[in-house]
Amino acid sequence: MADGPRLSHTSAMILQALGIGHIYGYTVMEATGLPSGTVYPALRRLERDQLIRSHWERQSLADVALRPPRKYYKLTRSGEAALEASRKRYPLLAKLVPAEEVEDA
Amino acid sequence: MNTAWLQYTPLRVASFLAPGDRRAEWFQEWRSELWYIPRRGAMRFCLGAFRDALWLRRNNLSSVQSVRIHLESPLHCLVFLATLAALSAFIALRLPAPEGLTPASHLRPLDLPLGCVAMLIYTGLLLPTTRLVMGRAPANSQPRPWPGRLRRGIFLALKIALVQPVMLCGFLVLAAIGAVPLAPLGVCAAWILTLRWVLIDQRRRCPVCLRVLGNPVRIGSPSQTFLEWYGAESICSRGHGLMQIPEVSTSYSGTGQWLRLGRSWSSLFSTTAGARR
Repeated sequence: MADGPRLSHTSAMILQALGIGHIYGYTVMEATGLPSGTVYPALRRLERDQLIRSHWERQSLADVALRPPRKYYKLTRSGEAALEASRKRYPLLAKLVPAEEVEDA
Repeated sequence: MNTAWLQYTPLRVASFLAPGDRRAEWFQEWRSELWYIPRRGAMRFCLGAFRDALWLRRNNLSSVQSVRIHLESPLHCLVFLATLAALSAFIALRLPAPEGLTPASHLRPLDLPLGCVAMLIYTGLLLPTTRLVMGRAPANSQPRPWPGRLRRGIFLALKIALVQPVMLCGFLVLAAIGAVPLAPLGVCAAWILTLRWVLIDQRRRCPVCLRVLGNPVRIGSPSQTFLEWYGAESICSRGHGLMQIPEVSTSYSGTGQWLRLGRSWSSLFSTTAGARR
């Protein structure tokens, strides 16, 4: 019935942030301006819907950088399609979450 | 230097809301993220953990399943509640009398049934309100025979009766530790939560055999459905039917639906097919 995934504005912003390389929770928060209580449940919901997937950074890499390991998020193929559809649906999405803010993808 | 544990305290408290089987990973992720947060924004960041943990609890099907295995059979559920009620009654009788409340030294065994009856009356007043707040029970399109409805009603009444000694014991414990001003408030909150559990447990049982429905699977996706329901679907282990509980109640999907399975499904439940009615 649906011609493609239909996302809420918040989910679309988070997908956009992930799509341009903000690959962990805190940077998604910074990029979107959404609070932690919105971003993390949304990330879990998107992962449940198989629009994104997550993986933990290797402990050895985190040890070298003297910090705890992080959980990284990445768009799946259907997530990329959903993002593309959302960009058409929300033309201002790219302006709300601009790509030039990414530092360490 | 000692502020590190203080910083993690909200996360530790919130972690108790997360389901047990995912708590460690949940806490690790939040602690890892907190490491990057500037100190001035840490508390605000941590407050979001409560919402996230609650979301995880609401959407974690595996933990719901594992908890319900122990109370799956209606008999097991009643035995468990009866044991809890007996233990609560024993504790209530052993408790010292609260200072300034009653001159009597101990609660007499005869007072216990009277106390339970008083609690039961109060429950009778709270029950309609709790049911109203929780919304309608899942709809059953096919008519059920009256013996089945009667058995279901008796089961609900027994559950409500058996939780009364537990509630009374809780009230007496609060009174005994001196939290008398808090006792009515605490008991009222515990009462509503307990009644809520009783009703939720009732709604998640098979209307035919009263066993807890299992094997929940997620149906649909909030972001990919249009005018279609999405939520969880559980099945009766005896093959009596399926319960569909939508995640969001809508005008077209309601609060849930019970679908009775026909005889053609019985081969899938061969080990328990004999028990079907």
